[in-house]
Amino acid sequence: MSPNNDPCPETDRLADMADVKFFGALAAAMTHDMKNVLAIINENAGLLGDLSVKAQKKATPIDPLKASTISEKIRKNVTRADTMMKRFNRFSHSMDHAEEFVDMEETVMLVASLSERIIRRHGGTLTVIPPPVPCRIHARRFVVLHLIFRALDILCCNHADPASDIQKQMTVRFGSELTRPEICFTRDPGFMIKRDVLFDSPKDRALLAHVKMKVKMMDAGAGFCLCTARPEHG
Amino acid sequence: MSEKVLLVDDEKEFLDIMSERMQERGMTVKTADSADQAMAMLEKESFDAIVMDFKMPGMDGIQALKNIKTKKPELQIILLTGYATVEKTVEAMKIGATDLLEKPADLEKLAAKIKQAKAEKMLVVEKQTEDKIKDILKRFGG
Repeated sequence: MSPNNDPCPETDRLADMADVKFFGALAAAMTHDMKNVLAIINENAGLLGDLSVKAQKKATPIDPLKASTISEKIRKNVTRADTMMKRFNRFSHSMDHAEEFVDMEETVMLVASLSERIIRRHGGTLTVIPPPVPCRIHARRFVVLHLIFRALDILCCNHADPASDIQKQMTVRFGSELTRPEICFTRDPGFMIKRDVLFDSPKDRALLAHVKMKVKMMDAGAGFCLCTARPEHG
Repeated sequence: MSEKVLLVDDEKEFLDIMSERMQERGMTVKTADSADQAMAMLEKESFDAIVMDFKMPGMDGIQALKNIKTKKPELQIILLTGYATVEKTVEAMKIGATDLLEKPADLEKLAAKIKQAKAEKMLVVEKQTEDKIKDILKRFGG
């Protein structure tokens, strides 16, 4: 039985189908970021301690402006950590339900924020252009998250010159037809995507089939779109 | 004489506060927010130790470690990281990392390791000088 006591064998089958590496990669990136935030909080608390020791030794009061700046930095980083934990918690609960209405923009934003470190490590920056019309599909959230992560991974890693240190400008756009949700992934001008690396593994194909989505190449390999013919029901 | 340290991390806020605290302890601290920037700084300046994050955008910690050790074998590198797997730690030590600390780290512990790293660097430099003199003497039949 799955950890959330869901007796549905579908959950277990999906968990097997979705590459565990996906969960691992996002968890590793998120916990690394979290450690950085904790380190900043730790150093700010340490600095406050240093100041109080100095004040005791020299019998001079702590500069109130300095103390307030430090306290503000601690507060800001606690908020940052809280946001990270909320996002990760939301991601962790994405397996809880069977099919539901999934807002594509929200899902792209969640994957983008969770994989920010991974994208940066590949020298990339991501711009998400909000959809002109609501873009929702009825599907299992975890599978959609995984597909978007795979799409960003393809954009990050698929390039003609792997040694190139040029910043990769990646963009996500949404289709304008309400009844045909579509997400398009493009990279900087001159980038040519190779068709043979697009969702070609059995796992990728299984994920696409599960959400009834297809991959459509853009003209001249400038990018690709994840499209569905499913009408939006919500 | 105080220790001269190059602090490398992609978190700007961490660099600022850490360098402030290290300077308060009498160290001379320079910062770099990427391994590439650190490499460029090492071309121009000499340091007693480098305190460097393992995972950064661009050149990662292991690659940076290899490059630095190839160019400046005497440099002592302390890795400061969020998480390090056993494999990565072993690999880093094999390449020549002096030590590895996990974030959030205790600054007193780090300061002690930096002092130790400086002493180690002096020994390596002494040995390098000794070898150079021996080599010259050998070449001139001394």
